Amino acid sequence: MALRVIVVGGGQVGADLASLLTADGHRVTAIEVRDDVARLLRRDLPDGAVISGNGTDPTVLEAAGIREADVVAAVTGADETNLVVTSLARFEFHVPYTIARVNNPKNAWIFGPTMGVDVALNQADLMAHLVQESLPVKSAMRGGRPETDPWPDPRG
Amino acid sequence: MKILIIGCGRLGAGLAQALSLRSHQVTIIDRDATAFDRLLPSFAGQQLDGAGFDRGLLLRAGIDRADGLAAVTGSDEVNAVVARVAREVFKVPRVVARLDDPRKAEIYRRLGLQTIAPVTWGISRIADLLCYTPLAPVISLGTGEVDIVEAEATPLLIGRMVADVTLPGEIHVVAITRRGSTLLPTMGTVFQIGDQLHLAVLGISMERLNVLLGAA
Repeated sequence: MALRVIVVGGGQVGADLASLLTADGHRVTAIEVRDDVARLLRRDLPDGAVISGNGTDPTVLEAAGIREADVVAAVTGADETNLVVTSLARFEFHVPYTIARVNNPKNAWIFGPTMGVDVALNQADLMAHLVQESLPVKSAMRGGRPETDPWPDPRG
Repeated sequence: MKILIIGCGRLGAGLAQALSLRSHQVTIIDRDATAFDRLLPSFAGQQLDGAGFDRGLLLRAGIDRADGLAAVTGSDEVNAVVARVAREVFKVPRVVARLDDPRKAEIYRRLGLQTIAPVTWGISRIADLLCYTPLAPVISLGTGEVDIVEAEATPLLIGRMVADVTLPGEIHVVAITRRGSTLLPTMGTVFQIGDQLHLAVLGISMERLNVLLGAA
């Protein structure tokens, strides 16, 4: 099923996300406030898929078709921007599913239902989980000794 | 009252000072510790440096038992988020957010936040002062869209009724002071010599009021 997706923030994360989803056949509209970044984005995305403007502006969101969107992904480099976007998406435009990027892990606690966030993507948190998941694998690679201290004392 | 102020710029520092003078318990937060240099030595409140979203910081500042919070940083988005968190998560009874860009007023309105727009307010006030009007503004409501003004009953008004100077949605006579006492008029109240009128006026309708009063 093709989803209608709005990506707010066309930096590296947003550009890749928009390209991947477009390649998978979804209808993606990207919103980017910086003119030079928006220009780069237009090279990679279909005609009309990039809107120049501030994603916290309700009129810009409406121009991007937020009233019909299935998913909104707020992935700018500013947490407050992402939170305003998800709040508007959920409480004003009743978007069924929202994803937000957490830039500063200290702000992660705000990325919840109060601000209209369904899923918060916190890189530090994600990596911490990945590191922990790697522990048994790493032990196995070293000869199947799961008891091995994963953080050996460098002095020993 | 226990009040939290987020942002120690000129507005935040001045507000902290003013509330502190009125013996309120003030905590001011800014992510830049040098911002506190704006506070006078007499400021008796608490200063905390750190990001306005930091949960630990907000709790240390006592947000869970605050009576009021003012979000007055230079970022409209930060103010909107802090104000919403204060209201929805910590149930702070009174929350006011500063709004710098009038184009973003819509965000705040849609998020149900009470706002103050110092620049917008200043523009409308300065414009009013420059374009002289005989009406004395007593107070501005909201962000300056509505003024409460006072005017002496002009000769044109004597013997006419309140209904004659009422424009629904634009101009309302809210009270009349007559011989030392103030009353709430009805549409049929007749103006007398010496009446002092108190009117609520939409800023953009000020000229029309001047015409109605025969003062223009």
